[in-house]
Amino acid sequence: MMPTSVAVRGALAFALFSARALADDAPAAPAEALSAPAAAAPSPPAAPAVAPSVADAGRFEFGSYGRVRIASDLRGGVGRTVNVVANGTRIDEDSYAELELRREDTWKGGATTKVVATLALFSPFFHFSGRPEQQLAVRNLFVQGSVGSLTLWGGSRMYRGDDIYLLNWWPLDNQNTLGGGAAYAIGPDTTLAAHVGMQRLDNAYQSQQVLAVAPFGSGTVAVQQLDRPRTIESVKFTQLVRNGRLFQDPKAGFKWVLYAEAHQISAGVARDALTAQDRGLPQDYGFLAGAQLGIWSGERDTHLNLFLRHARGLAAYDPLAAPQTFANDKSTMGTTESLIALGGNYEKEAFGIVGGAYLRAFRDGDPSATTTQKFDEGTVVLRPQVYLGQHWGVGGEASFQARRLAVPDPEQTSQPLTASLWRFGVMPYFSPAGRGTFKRPQLRLVYVATLRSRGAQELYAAQDVFAQRSVEHFLGLNVEWWFNSSSQP
Amino acid sequence: MRVLVLGLGAIAALAVVATHTTACVQIPDQGKQPALATHVVDWRDEVIYQVLIDRFADGNINNNFGVRPGALARHQGGDWRGLEDHLGYLQEMGVTTLWISPIVKNVETDADVDSYHGYWAQDLTQLNPHFGDLASLRSLVASAHDRNMKVVLDIVTNHMGQAFYYDMNLNGHPDIYIGGTGTTSPLTRVSEYDPDWDARGVQAQTSLGLDGRAPMIFIDDPAINRVPPGCIDTLSPDGRCILGSPRGYHGFGRILNYDDDKQRMLGDFPGGLKDVATELDEVRQVMIDSYARWVELLDLDGFRIDTVKHVEHEFWQVFSKAVRQRLAAQGKANFLMFGEAFDGNDELLGSFTRPGELDSVFYFSQHFQVFRDVFQNAHDVKAQKGTSQIKTLWESRAKSYGSAPQENGIGVAPTKALVNFLDNHDVSRFLFEAQGDVPALRNALTLLLTEDGIPCVYYGTEQDFAGGNDPANREVLWTTGFATTGDTFRHVSKLAGLRRDYVALRRGDTKVVYATDHVGDESDAGVFAFERAAGDAGASYALVVMNTNARHKSTTSDASGMKVNAAAGSSLVDVLDPARTAYAVGSDQTLRLTLGAQSAMVLVPSGQVVH
Repeated sequence: MMPTSVAVRGALAFALFSARALADDAPAAPAEALSAPAAAAPSPPAAPAVAPSVADAGRFEFGSYGRVRIASDLRGGVGRTVNVVANGTRIDEDSYAELELRREDTWKGGATTKVVATLALFSPFFHFSGRPEQQLAVRNLFVQGSVGSLTLWGGSRMYRGDDIYLLNWWPLDNQNTLGGGAAYAIGPDTTLAAHVGMQRLDNAYQSQQVLAVAPFGSGTVAVQQLDRPRTIESVKFTQLVRNGRLFQDPKAGFKWVLYAEAHQISAGVARDALTAQDRGLPQDYGFLAGAQLGIWSGERDTHLNLFLRHARGLAAYDPLAAPQTFANDKSTMGTTESLIALGGNYEKEAFGIVGGAYLRAFRDGDPSATTTQKFDEGTVVLRPQVYLGQHWGVGGEASFQARRLAVPDPEQTSQPLTASLWRFGVMPYFSPAGRGTFKRPQLRLVYVATLRSRGAQELYAAQDVFAQRSVEHFLGLNVEWWFNSSSQP
Repeated sequence: MRVLVLGLGAIAALAVVATHTTACVQIPDQGKQPALATHVVDWRDEVIYQVLIDRFADGNINNNFGVRPGALARHQGGDWRGLEDHLGYLQEMGVTTLWISPIVKNVETDADVDSYHGYWAQDLTQLNPHFGDLASLRSLVASAHDRNMKVVLDIVTNHMGQAFYYDMNLNGHPDIYIGGTGTTSPLTRVSEYDPDWDARGVQAQTSLGLDGRAPMIFIDDPAINRVPPGCIDTLSPDGRCILGSPRGYHGFGRILNYDDDKQRMLGDFPGGLKDVATELDEVRQVMIDSYARWVELLDLDGFRIDTVKHVEHEFWQVFSKAVRQRLAAQGKANFLMFGEAFDGNDELLGSFTRPGELDSVFYFSQHFQVFRDVFQNAHDVKAQKGTSQIKTLWESRAKSYGSAPQENGIGVAPTKALVNFLDNHDVSRFLFEAQGDVPALRNALTLLLTEDGIPCVYYGTEQDFAGGNDPANREVLWTTGFATTGDTFRHVSKLAGLRRDYVALRRGDTKVVYATDHVGDESDAGVFAFERAAGDAGASYALVVMNTNARHKSTTSDASGMKVNAAAGSSLVDVLDPARTAYAVGSDQTLRLTLGAQSAMVLVPSGQVVH
C-alpha cells in the first residue's frame, strides 16, 4: 500500500536501511537525472525492520513512478528544456516512467527478502513519435535479504540517498551499478552501509569489440579489445539524533551523514577507428568524500537538507557519464568537483514551499586553462504553493541558474562565458491524494517563461532558435505519479 | 552529543578542503585581451622559424579530432599549446620570430585529405578548434613576447576552401564524372569541385550543348565544416556574407597555365580552392577587417601572406595601407607584411614590394638560384652552379625590389628585408633534394643566417628532416624528442648567436668579394665570400667565406686574389671556429684562405670579437 505521508514512508525506509543508506531504488536515472523524488528526510524511528513471523509468508507487489508531459513553445513548436546547468529545475523535464514488480517474503525465523525488478521507459512514447520502438531499460533487478541488524543485497540497483526534488537530483550519493552491498544497524539510530558496484559502459572509453578471423572455418568473430570496467566502492555512515534528544518535539529530528566513494578503472588498449592502430589507455582512479546534514520537523514533509561533496579524478564523473576530456596521459588526473547543495520543504495549513539550490565547481583534467569542462554553476529554485481545498492547488516557481565556463566570451573575450536564465512559472494542479508537496498523483497545467542571457544563447549553434531567442515559453500539461514503488519514499 | 560534534567537525573540514582547492573560473591573464604594442625594432634582427602547427608539438590531446598518426595528409595533433610548451627549445636554437600556420577555421577534409595545414579557410572569424582556442593562442603569443619572440601569422586572401561546387550538369549535386563522347569530343574527367579553367567562366553543359555559366552551389555539410563562409556580423547587415555568396568569387575554374595572367589572377587554386573576387570593395573590407581583427585580438607582429601573385596589385595597396593605418592608430608599428609568390622571377616578386604594397616577399628566386643550384646540387658536379650565380642574383636585388621603406611600414627597404629561406612546406626539404648531404645543409644555413635580409628556418630543418614533396615534407617534429644536441641544431643555434652578437651580420650592407663559376677541380671551385659592413651596422664588420664544393678544399684566390675592405694588416678571427683561428689581412688588403669542402668562416676584426 502507498504510505500516506513522507514521514511514514521514511520510517519504513529507515527500518530497512536507515535513512535510505541503502536507498531503496529511488527512481534513478542516467546522468541527466530522469527521474523522480526520493523523500527528503528521514523520519522517526520505526518498528523493527521486519517482525519475526511464525510462518513463511509472501506477496507480489506492483509499484510505479512516472511523469508525462506535453508542451508547446507558443511559437508552433514543442516546449523544450532550457536548463544551462547540470541540475536545473525539473518543471519542464521530459517524460519518464518506471514499472516495478516486486516479490516480498518473510521467512520463518524472521528473515525477509524481496526481489525487485524495475523497468524504465524513456521518452518519446509511441503516441508522440509514432515509432513503436520504446526505449526500455532494466534499472533494478536485485535481491535483498535481511535478518536481525544485517541486510545484504546483490544485483542491478539504483542505490542512492536523499534528493532535491525540484532539481531531480541526488547530490550526495547516486550509484547505478551492478553489484552488491550490506548495511548494518549499529543501533536504532546508527547505520553503516557499504557497497561495491561495477559497470562497463558501451562506449569507446570502456568497451570495444573488434573483428578477428574466426579460429575455425571462414568468417570473423568478435573479440573484446577494450575491457575497462569501472569499479566503485562506497561507504556511508548515518547517525540520527531524534526522539527528543535534540528537539523537544519527539517527531522532529536531525541527522548527519558521512559518505565516501572510491573509483577505479583498469588500463586498456583501444583500437583507433580511423587508423586501426592500437592505443593505450591508462589505469585511472578517483575518490569522493561527502556529507549531509538533515533536519525535519515531523510535521507533514517539512525538512531541510544540506549536502557537501568533493571529488577528485574519476570519481568526479557520474558512473553513467564517461569523461570526455582528459589529462595528456589520457587519465582524469587533475579533475575535481566540489559542490554544496540545499534542499527543503515547508508546509503549513494551506501553504507550502519547496526549494532547492546548489553551487558546483567542476574542473576537468584538460591541460588547457580554458575548456567548456571547467565551470562553476549553480541554481536556486523556489516553488511556493497554495492549496485550494483538499484536492486543488496553485504553485508558482521562480528560479535562477547560471553556468560560468572557462572559455572566452565571444564578445568580451577577456571574460569567461556566463550563461544564465531566469525562469518564472505558474502551475495550477489537481491532487486527488490531498494536500502536500509530495502527494501524488498530480495533474498540472504548467506555464513557464524563461529569460535567457546572451551567454545562454551562445551555447547553441547559430542555426538553433535557442541561439537567437532571449525569451522562451513553455505551456503544457504534466502529470506525475508514484505509488508502492521501492524507488519512492 | 559527541557523535554530533564529530559529524559536524568532519563536515566542516570537508567544506574547508573543497573551498580551498577550487577558485572561481576565469580566463588566465595570458588569455585575456592584450594591449597592442610594437615588439620589433628592426626586422633584420629577427630569425624566423616557420611552424606548421599540426606538426610541431601536441600540447593537448583533447583537440585531436580525426587524428591519424603517421598519415601525413591527415591531422597529426599539434596545437598552439604544444608550441608554447616548447618555446624554450626554439629560444635555445636562436629563433626570435614564430611564423605560425593559418589559424582560422577550415573545411575539415576534401578528397580524403585533411586541412591540417590550415590553408582551406571556411570562416575567417573563427579559430580552428584543432589547434586550441582564443585563450590558448593568446597565451602562445604572450609567452612568446615574454621571451622577446614575435609572432607572424600566415593568412590567405586569394582564395577560400572548397566552399562550393560548380553544378556543371545542372543536376543539383556535386559530381565527378567522365565528360565528352570519345568521338566528337575527347573523354575528360570532370570534377565539379575543381573544374578546369574556362575563360568564359565555368560552363554548364549537357549532351545538347552549353547551358551558360554553371551555378556555384554552396555546400552545407556540417560534418566536415563544409558550410558557407561567414563574416564578422557588422559586415553583413543583410545576414549574408559576401564570402558565402557567388558574388564573392570569380568562378573561372582551376588555373592550368600560371603564365597566363588572367588565369593566375582569376583562376581557382588547385585543389578546389575558390578564387575570391578581391577587386570588390566589399571583399577587400572583409579581408581587412577579418585579419586586422586577429592582430587586435592577439597582438600579432606580422602577416605572412599566401599566394600574393594571384591577387591584383590594387588589392595589396588597399589592404596594406588599411592594415597599417588601423594598427598604427592602436600603437602597433613595424608590423611586417611579407608575401609568398611561388615564382623565381625577380621582377614579379619585386612587384609586390612597390611603394604602397608589401614590406617584403619570400626570396624565391634565391631559393632556386642559390640554395638549389649552388648548395643542394653540391653532390652533383654536373648540376651545381658556380657561386657567381649568387653574386649575379644579389646584384639585381636593388633593381627588382623596393629601395625605400613602405610608408607606415617596417622602416626597412624591401630590398634589405627579403625573407630568405632554404625550403618550406610547399617544396621538398633541402636534404631531400640534396640526397641527404648534411654538410651542404649546414653550409646553406651559414649563408642563410649571415646574408642580408631576414632568415627563415622551416621547422624540422634543425633535426635534419629530409621529406620530399607535400605532404612528406611536413613531418611530425615531436618524434625527435626536441633534442638540442644534434649538430645541425647546434649549428643553427651558433649562427643565430653570431647574428645576434654581430650587428654587421644583421644590418650591414653586402659586398660580394669573391665568387666563381668554378664547380669542378679548380682550386677555387665553389668559393664564395661577402662582406657585411656599413649601412646600419656602424663600425661593425664581418666577412663570410664559404666553400660550396663538396669534393675538395678550395682557396680564395684566383689570378686577382680576394681583396677585402678590412684594414691592411688587421687580424680577422673566425668566430664560427671554436678555436677562434685568426687570419691576417695582407698589406694589399687581400686574404688567401683555404676552406675544407662544404665549410665556411665568419671573420670579424679581432677587436670586435664578442667573448
